[in-house]
Amino acid sequence: MSSNSATRPQHRVVLTGLGALSSIGIGVAQFTEGLRTGRSGAKPISVFDASGFAHSTGCEVTGFDPDTSIHNLDTENLGRATALAVSAARMAVQDAGPEPETLDARHGMISIGTTDGASAELDRLIESELEDGPGAMDPELAARVSPARLSLAIAQELGLSDVEPVTLATACSAGNYTIGYGFDAVRSGEVDYALCGGADAMCRKTFAGFYRLGTIAPECCQPFDAERKGILTGEGAGVLVLESLESALARGARIYAEILGYGLNCDAYHQVAPDEESVGRCMRLALENAGVKPDEVDLISAHGTGTKANDITESRAIRAVYGEQPPRTVSLKSMLGHTMGAASALAAIACSLAITEGFIPPTINHVRTDPECEIDCVPNESVPARLRIVQNNGLAFGGNNAVVVLGSYTGEGR
Amino acid sequence: MTAVIADWSAVSPFGIGRTAFAEGLRAGTDPVRELAADWDSPDERAGVLAEFDARAVLGKKGTRSMDRVTALTVTAMRELTERPLDAERTAIVLGTTTGSAQSMMEFTGSSLTGAEPFHVDPALMPNVVMNCAAGRCGIWYGIKGPNTTVAGGRAAGLQGLQYAVRLLAAGRADTVLCGAAEEYSRARAWLERHARSLEQSPEYGAPLGEGAALFTVCREAENALAEILSVRSRVVLDGDPRTALLACLRGALEEAGTRPEEIAAVVSSGATGLTGRAERAALTELFTEQARGRVPALAGFGDLGAGSAAFGLAALLATPGRDIGELAVLTSVDRDGAVGCAVLRTL
Repeated sequence: MSSNSATRPQHRVVLTGLGALSSIGIGVAQFTEGLRTGRSGAKPISVFDASGFAHSTGCEVTGFDPDTSIHNLDTENLGRATALAVSAARMAVQDAGPEPETLDARHGMISIGTTDGASAELDRLIESELEDGPGAMDPELAARVSPARLSLAIAQELGLSDVEPVTLATACSAGNYTIGYGFDAVRSGEVDYALCGGADAMCRKTFAGFYRLGTIAPECCQPFDAERKGILTGEGAGVLVLESLESALARGARIYAEILGYGLNCDAYHQVAPDEESVGRCMRLALENAGVKPDEVDLISAHGTGTKANDITESRAIRAVYGEQPPRTVSLKSMLGHTMGAASALAAIACSLAITEGFIPPTINHVRTDPECEIDCVPNESVPARLRIVQNNGLAFGGNNAVVVLGSYTGEGR
Repeated sequence: MTAVIADWSAVSPFGIGRTAFAEGLRAGTDPVRELAADWDSPDERAGVLAEFDARAVLGKKGTRSMDRVTALTVTAMRELTERPLDAERTAIVLGTTTGSAQSMMEFTGSSLTGAEPFHVDPALMPNVVMNCAAGRCGIWYGIKGPNTTVAGGRAAGLQGLQYAVRLLAAGRADTVLCGAAEEYSRARAWLERHARSLEQSPEYGAPLGEGAALFTVCREAENALAEILSVRSRVVLDGDPRTALLACLRGALEEAGTRPEEIAAVVSSGATGLTGRAERAALTELFTEQARGRVPALAGFGDLGAGSAAFGLAALLATPGRDIGELAVLTSVDRDGAVGCAVLRTL
């Protein structure tokens, strides 16, 4: 292969464009404002019929009109998750600056993560099958169920042929997985840029499953709180533009942050329960890869789902790595709900904005920290802060952990 | 750096393990069979494993709620774990279309038909997430490195191979167990039947196939089977996969430092319908007839979905009498617009 890590120069990798669609805001400006003011995306679920569930609060993206950002594809023929992904990619590329025509002359990667892929469409197909029999399924809908379309549709919308389209389906850490993959490919020089991120749409399947597991909170998501009652399912998309530092400097691009490194591992322990030691090992892998010591980290964006099990396991793992005085540790899921495959992508965007805009987004809905979660979760209100290094955690079913480390770009060499 | 394929395994309609696959391929056995009534499928025939029972193959412990694609994958990985592996330095990279469409649709179905909408079986929850098979393999064999699921449809096998090579290049693992799996199911049969109906193609009725093919990929190994010289992928923009595949192939051949006439074996993913026609057209344009006929065609297996490129690679490795240094090309074309190819050298 052309990637010769021993002899090839390794590029520094920076983030130069962000696109976000979330329940607390569409577009980077609204999203930033939502993070800064501690907005909650929770509202009654409307995208599927939630009657029969005792409580059905979720974090939907409202006011999303795909036609405002998607120009070349027929939005009628895109699944909801795909429309969110394509829209986020459009925003990110626009934010980064280059015209898609300029990108097309370069070799790139489009890597999108997802938990549920086209499950919103599969839900509708099974509904139709139960009503009218399998022969009556809508063929257009059936042709749309491959999650590969999440990354392919972005390439097709932007007119990019010389790109590697990769959909990573590593569940709820998939966003971080894609950032890691883009990081390695840009770092080695194999691709000139990468559009990385994640997307998921709300669906009955996932809501019903988490509800049955007893992990859906009735009204709000309260990570690390003594009275926390679980997750809220959410939806959204986040896409980040990655390129080499040379490339960004050459075109005078704004640099949000530098990607310093990442770590991946697998608990190999349990399909749904996280493993403290393994989660800690993943953080160590990421810090080692980033060349960062624990005491240099200013902020952790936790996976922080708001379930009993996750928050205790994750905060213990953080203390095992960081000792008695870990960095402030926030959960964006308190505001965004659990956006599944988009979660760690939206969180990485939030981390970049926190670095650039100089504030720590809060963990909202917080009343009293669980004594078993011994961290400072920055309750309820954002605080100004000068952040140099931020760690973004993503954990998932299957024990698929992924941790990304971001740093402020100040023009100095690291 | 280069990466090599040190080992492989397959679970196929020919049976469990690489020997069963190689022998079935050599004998020219037809893997497509009449479907038993309990499939409740709209298809009459498919390339399925007859009487595959996870409990019988893997034991009762841990298999009660295991779905078919996961069981096929865990079974296929068994042969690869016979050699010693460093748990933390071994990765799993698995290609899929959408995990198990059957598991997903049944799960939502039980929410819609149960007395209460939350009457779903919590034990089945992990099955409705696409990384189930990869995560489960990690647990089954205690493999703790990166654990990645690539949802690429027919292009998944080569996308996964490219991902695996990058993990090795970046030093994130020393060994990658990589490949792809697809299950046959009633749900997949209906989805595919409807999706294909949009395409006016003479191969509308081509049967579906299933199985898992996996490879041990590492930087170097004694007695390695093949060296991976290049893996490339690209996106179809104009509706014609032929031009995108040709561009992809030219890039890969250049990176591998070779030319079309030097390629001794070409393995197409055996796509059906219009994408298949485009794939064959591109290969006919670039490669000799002899090279295209070198490895038994997989078209007879039925549409293997995400498994297609992985089975193409397995078929290449199972083909006897390959000379050292012989160059081979693998291609894949997905109807949603992904194309991919790889250039390998026999070791």
